[in-house]
Amino acid sequence: MNLSYRAYYVWKRNLTAYKRFLLPTLLVSLGEPFFYLLALGLGLGAYMGNLFGGAAYVNFLASGLVASSCMMTATFECLYDSFVRMVHEKIYGSLIVTPISAEDVVAGDIAWGAFRGIISGFLMYGVAVLIGALPLSLPVIFGLLGVMALTGLLFGSLSMIVTSFAPNFDFFNYYTQLIISPLFFFSGVFFPLDKFPGWLRLIAKFSPLTHAVSVSRQLFAGRFSGHLYLNLLAIILPMLAAFCLALFFMKRRLIK
Amino acid sequence: MPSIVTARNLVKKFGDFTAVDGISFEIRTGECFGFLGPNGAGKTTTIRMIHCVSPRSGGELTVLGRPASVDNREIKRLIGVVPQEINLDADLTVRENLSLYAEFYDLKRRPAAARIAELLDFVELKGKINNQIAELSTGMKRRLQIARALVNQPQLIIADEPTTGLDPQARRLIWQRLRELKGRGATIILTTQYMEEAEQLCDRLVVMSRGKIIDFGSPDELKKKHDRPNLEEVYLKLTGHGLQEEAAE
Ligand SMILES: Nc1ncnc2c1ncn2[C@@H]1O[C@H](COP(=O)(O)OP(=O)(O)OP(=O)(O)O)[C@@H](O)[C@H]1O
Ligand SMILES: [Mg+2]
Repeated sequence: MNLSYRAYYVWKRNLTAYKRFLLPTLLVSLGEPFFYLLALGLGLGAYMGNLFGGAAYVNFLASGLVASSCMMTATFECLYDSFVRMVHEKIYGSLIVTPISAEDVVAGDIAWGAFRGIISGFLMYGVAVLIGALPLSLPVIFGLLGVMALTGLLFGSLSMIVTSFAPNFDFFNYYTQLIISPLFFFSGVFFPLDKFPGWLRLIAKFSPLTHAVSVSRQLFAGRFSGHLYLNLLAIILPMLAAFCLALFFMKRRLIK
Repeated sequence: MPSIVTARNLVKKFGDFTAVDGISFEIRTGECFGFLGPNGAGKTTTIRMIHCVSPRSGGELTVLGRPASVDNREIKRLIGVVPQEINLDADLTVRENLSLYAEFYDLKRRPAAARIAELLDFVELKGKINNQIAELSTGMKRRLQIARALVNQPQLIIADEPTTGLDPQARRLIWQRLRELKGRGATIILTTQYMEEAEQLCDRLVVMSRGKIIDFGSPDELKKKHDRPNLEEVYLKLTGHGLQEEAAE
């Protein structure tokens, strides 16, 4: 493995390219959190009364959406946007001519996907704070930063593996429909998992998003369960594996 | 003169297809060395092995005194590459294209800015520093690619068909710049489909066909040996008048 600090240059290249679109994209991406939290949180939540020891549904939902929105953004960035950079814009090819290695390129692009995921998660958090659904505090912000960095790196790496095999955009549908959508709905973002049949609960336990959601809920509640370390391990171990595989498969595609 | 690139029985395979079929050559420091040959002959494939982005399948390849392996940073740091395909970063401005590239070579911000101004002057793009890539003509893009290849002050410059798609004036400007670079002591590896260009610039060249070197020498030596008035005639005599890629099917 030929990984170096030059991965940072790749991240910076993406930031430089993205800067121009920063404001418009941020404004547009504020839309989604608003819709979810208003429609589901306030609309649907009104029928639910106070759940789980007096908390409103919007509170429960918001803390889950912070993690899932990070997952979604990192995923789409490392599928579609990375594919465009690699195949259409030929940027990967121009980078590896310099002292930047193929591994640096892939790692930097995954870090970029994670970075976008973190921004997206914080937008969700910001909107939730604005409508009073989540508390604002410095420890929570730092904690969130950590969980989202791990979540973003994990899902960025997983997507990058998919991208390394993709002949075209259509290929991504298999992954988003068969893996990402179920994770989104069955990882405890919208409802607690304890009423699920046992086999579904078992499957949900294997979803890293379940654990990311659980950690962020613990952060917001300010109460940590004895399972916190297991939750973190369930994100970190697959993240490390996916990261190494992404580097391996991408290098195989880039270096011929 | 010492050699800067040495290849012995260099082979490149893609699956069972042999793109480069055991070629040997030696490029001397300070010369302009040409690779000629029909489409698909294996010129770009050979060049990509030299600048360490493609692994060789067999043989030996030494560049700047080091074995050329994939991602050999020591070699990559000393080479400037003008790729055949235009691959400037369309999401960035002219300035950003060069300043980010300079950073990739670990240049500090101040010296990089001075270097960029100098390079834009050299390729006559000074007025375009804040333009988007889409706003440049093909000729400007080709020139910017040359500037980009020079940010790290390379000892070895590899230019893969640097004048494709350019009008005669634009082409001559690039010839002049390549000559100037050689005058300053750089070694140049050039591929081209324009025989006049090869005759103008190359000290020595090889003619490749289907992955093999079919002849080599200086333009004058080749003209004399084949008894033809210009390089184009020599080339046609060597590679035939038919379309090679079709014939190979
Ligand atoms: N990544 C690859 N996978 C499979 N085959 C390849 C690959 N790259 C090149 N080839 C094949 O290798 C042969 C040599 O290609 P190369 O690009 O080196 O030719 P060239 O001499 O540069 O041609 P041109 O003048 O058209 O640029 C061609 O038949 C090409 O199809
Ligand atoms: Mg070529």
